[in-house]
Amino acid sequence: MKPTALPWIAAASAFFALVILQAESRPRYGGALRVEMSAALNNLDPAEIPSDPVALEAKARLVPAVFETLVRLDESGKPQPWLATSWTHDVARKRWVFMARPRVRLHNGMMWTPTASSLEAPDDRPIEQILREMARPWNAIIVREPDGTLTGTGPFRVARWEAGKAATLLANEAHWKGRPYLDSIEIQMGRDLRDQTQDLQLGKVDVTDASVGTSDETKAEETLALIFDTPRSTPAVREAVALSIDKVAIRRVLLKGHGDITGALLPQWLSGYAFLFDGKRDVARARQLSAGSPPLTFSYDRQDAVLRSIGERISVNAMEAGITMRPGSSMADVRLVMIPITSRDELAALADIAVVLKAPFSFAAAPYEAERALIDGFRVVPLFHLARNWSLAPRVHSWPDLPNVWIGQP
Amino acid sequence: MTFRTKLLLLSSITVAGAVALVTGAVSIAARQGFERADGQRRSDLLAQLRRELDARGAEVVRQVERAAASAGVQRIAAGSAEFNQAQQESAAQDLGFLDVVQPDLTILSSAHWPARFGYKNDWEIAAEDWHSAGAAFFARIPVPEGPSVVALVAVRPTADKRALVAGGRLVDPVFLKSLGDAPGMRALLWLPPGEVVDAQGGNPDITKLAGLVNAARGRDTEATGTVQWTSARSSSEAFLAFPLEHRGQIAGVLLAGTSLAAQFALENEILWIGVVAAVSGILIGVLLGWWTTERVTRPVTQLARGARAVASGDWSARVEVISKDEIGELAAAFNRMTEQLAEQRDRAIQAERVAAWRELARRLAHELKNPLFPLQITIENLRKARKRSESEFEEVFQESTGTLLAEVGNLKTIIGRFSDFAKMPPPNFEVVDLNEIVQNVMRLHDAQLKAEGSSKIDAQLDLAEVGLRIQADGEQLRRAIGNLVLNAIDAMPRGGVLRIASSREDGHVRLSVSDTGMGLTEEECARLFTPYYTTKQHGTGLGLAIVQSVVSDHGGKISVLSSPGNGATFIIELPVSPGEPA
Repeated sequence: MKPTALPWIAAASAFFALVILQAESRPRYGGALRVEMSAALNNLDPAEIPSDPVALEAKARLVPAVFETLVRLDESGKPQPWLATSWTHDVARKRWVFMARPRVRLHNGMMWTPTASSLEAPDDRPIEQILREMARPWNAIIVREPDGTLTGTGPFRVARWEAGKAATLLANEAHWKGRPYLDSIEIQMGRDLRDQTQDLQLGKVDVTDASVGTSDETKAEETLALIFDTPRSTPAVREAVALSIDKVAIRRVLLKGHGDITGALLPQWLSGYAFLFDGKRDVARARQLSAGSPPLTFSYDRQDAVLRSIGERISVNAMEAGITMRPGSSMADVRLVMIPITSRDELAALADIAVVLKAPFSFAAAPYEAERALIDGFRVVPLFHLARNWSLAPRVHSWPDLPNVWIGQP
Repeated sequence: MTFRTKLLLLSSITVAGAVALVTGAVSIAARQGFERADGQRRSDLLAQLRRELDARGAEVVRQVERAAASAGVQRIAAGSAEFNQAQQESAAQDLGFLDVVQPDLTILSSAHWPARFGYKNDWEIAAEDWHSAGAAFFARIPVPEGPSVVALVAVRPTADKRALVAGGRLVDPVFLKSLGDAPGMRALLWLPPGEVVDAQGGNPDITKLAGLVNAARGRDTEATGTVQWTSARSSSEAFLAFPLEHRGQIAGVLLAGTSLAAQFALENEILWIGVVAAVSGILIGVLLGWWTTERVTRPVTQLARGARAVASGDWSARVEVISKDEIGELAAAFNRMTEQLAEQRDRAIQAERVAAWRELARRLAHELKNPLFPLQITIENLRKARKRSESEFEEVFQESTGTLLAEVGNLKTIIGRFSDFAKMPPPNFEVVDLNEIVQNVMRLHDAQLKAEGSSKIDAQLDLAEVGLRIQADGEQLRRAIGNLVLNAIDAMPRGGVLRIASSREDGHVRLSVSDTGMGLTEEECARLFTPYYTTKQHGTGLGLAIVQSVVSDHGGKISVLSSPGNGATFIIELPVSPGEPA
């Protein structure tokens, strides 16, 4: 071989290698995504907002894949047209009229032809607020079939639903934005964390939940918080518990530096005012407040090693302040939960948190006042803002954006 | 109570007492034996428990030393390990808990309570225990599930002295179960202020153990006692209370219990065997006593029976002589006595018979002598008249033959009476009316009672209004009642009241004949019905004897009520039918 051919051979090899590498990173159509989750959903009806934070997070993530709203919020939280292409005032300037996107087909093959009234909204508040409310997944466009089933327009349609156990979503070939990459999504619900981890290790599943605080993702999408459900605890005792918790040690040792210590429900990146909520420790003050405190039962996900450690540490901290918190059942006085941040909009996110807290909520209030109202009385004690964690098989790409998830080569 | 019953009772009580005494003695001896064995078992148990705890302590020391030398603990001491690294080291050494602490007792990692990292260890043991390398000891350590638990603890420093390692075994149900794994044995742990941990997961009544626990805590040494959990004796357990103490601090009290169910079952078995043996012994004793009593009292019973027979007139009664002892002699004496009595009775009867014949002969002589004398005189007069003139003879003959006929008639009458008494025929029963018979008798004597010159006798009849119809021989009754009426008339030579009454009384009829005559003495009343006994000047003494004979033949009875000067009342009671008692 002539020496002059060698550079050409090397260049050709590099070219093919680059082509192969590009092919590996290019999205592929087809394949079934296997998902296991702790949440157990009874249905995907957007009208039913779960109060269980785990179910809320799962439903808020799955509903947009099946049912679509007139508008959606972009990454920066700005409303963008979705099933509605535009919106204008009516002639009397008392109502907003939304223009339906043409050539949108429902999952049953019919064309989406909304009635005029379903595309109108009274002009009783700022259009920005109206659009943010419309963007909530719970306000998605649904068509109820005579047999009670729900039909939507999203990139996936429900092919099988076993309440609380399993579901199969199939790709909507006629989606107005084009079909998703995946052919289907197989979902197993109500699986405990240990089984999910085991299945992932055995290659039986592609996506599972993961322990809190183990992700390197910096964007916090969940708030670890204590929720006091029963009237056994007084505001003073709840405040004492909040003041007793050594968040610094928990973040440093148990969360290994992940997450942000907070006293706010919404993370700083979303609200911009999270620093205004104080979450500092004051054991002396906690001891004063805890006088006469009854023993409280305390529940947390014992399958999650990190959550369990945090729960035990909180019990130790509370004990130091003179409060007994014993592990209890689901009807415990106190719960340690991960509250999902379900929206890029502060009020929409707070509205979902209010559902979890079973607290009243109004979109008319300013976000800070709305959050302050939820936190006052210490019914909820925010502790950390944490990223949402999943464990993924190597072949899964673009998770968790379901329409864009694709399966790579094994 | 009969002699036999008394004797049987006495023998039974004696046998029962003896058997009960033996059974009780055996039971007490068995119980004392069991108590000695129980004491020995408790001391063996104590020694075994001490050996076991010492062995466990030595094992804990070895495990903690291995943990202190492990790489994981070294990393913890160096601050380069996870907060829960102690869990791995604890599991590796099979320890129930493991704490790695800094010299100032700040927890670096805790196996049983990982969340306590950073806190100062605040066990209830002296600070010097952390820095000494002594033997294992019992201490209370805090746990997340509650206030604290008891553990067998050993403390050792790491090789670089940067940390202390405290580890050991929790005195939990598993530990207790391993201690009390012998059959019938179990271990409990008493924790202050008043909690009991049971290896079997039970919930023992703390109050029943309080005395034992307090004794062990107060004396700071072992205490023994028995606890009966329920009303059943088989629920009893013998406990050995062993204080878990270190440097004056009592972490808890270990209670080693051995069930006494088997012992009590054995005691009960022995007791039941004793009871069965006692009952059998008593039963056999009673049977033997009954047999013996029967043999002993049989001659006495025969004697009593013989005496009763003799009393009822059976002079031939004899008793079998079946032994040569005192009872046999008594039976022989009884037989001799009855023989002599029979002989004496025969002699008396013979004498009485002779006396009766003499009395009869005297009566006959007396009765016959009276007519014979006129007969003799008349015959002599006839002879004299024969010698005198014929005409005078004729006159005398006529008169004398009349007299002879009259006296012969008297003799025939006298002989006839005796003959009648001797030939009293059996009654011919038929239905008769007693009132009618009484009225007929009174009609026969009516003329006699109303005759001129005779004393005034007022006859009164008080007969039953309804006819008294009975089964009887009417003729014999008429004769008997007639005799009583004649006797009454004879008893009232100066007049009086003759009263005859009849009535029906409860299955029989009653007839009374009363007079108001001179009455009779008690002796006369007693002999009144004796044949040939009479209180009258010319009586044959057969009248009342005939009356008694008639009444007796009719199945009735006759009695007399009388006293001197108060008249006499003869009472006849007759059955309605001859078969029925009067």
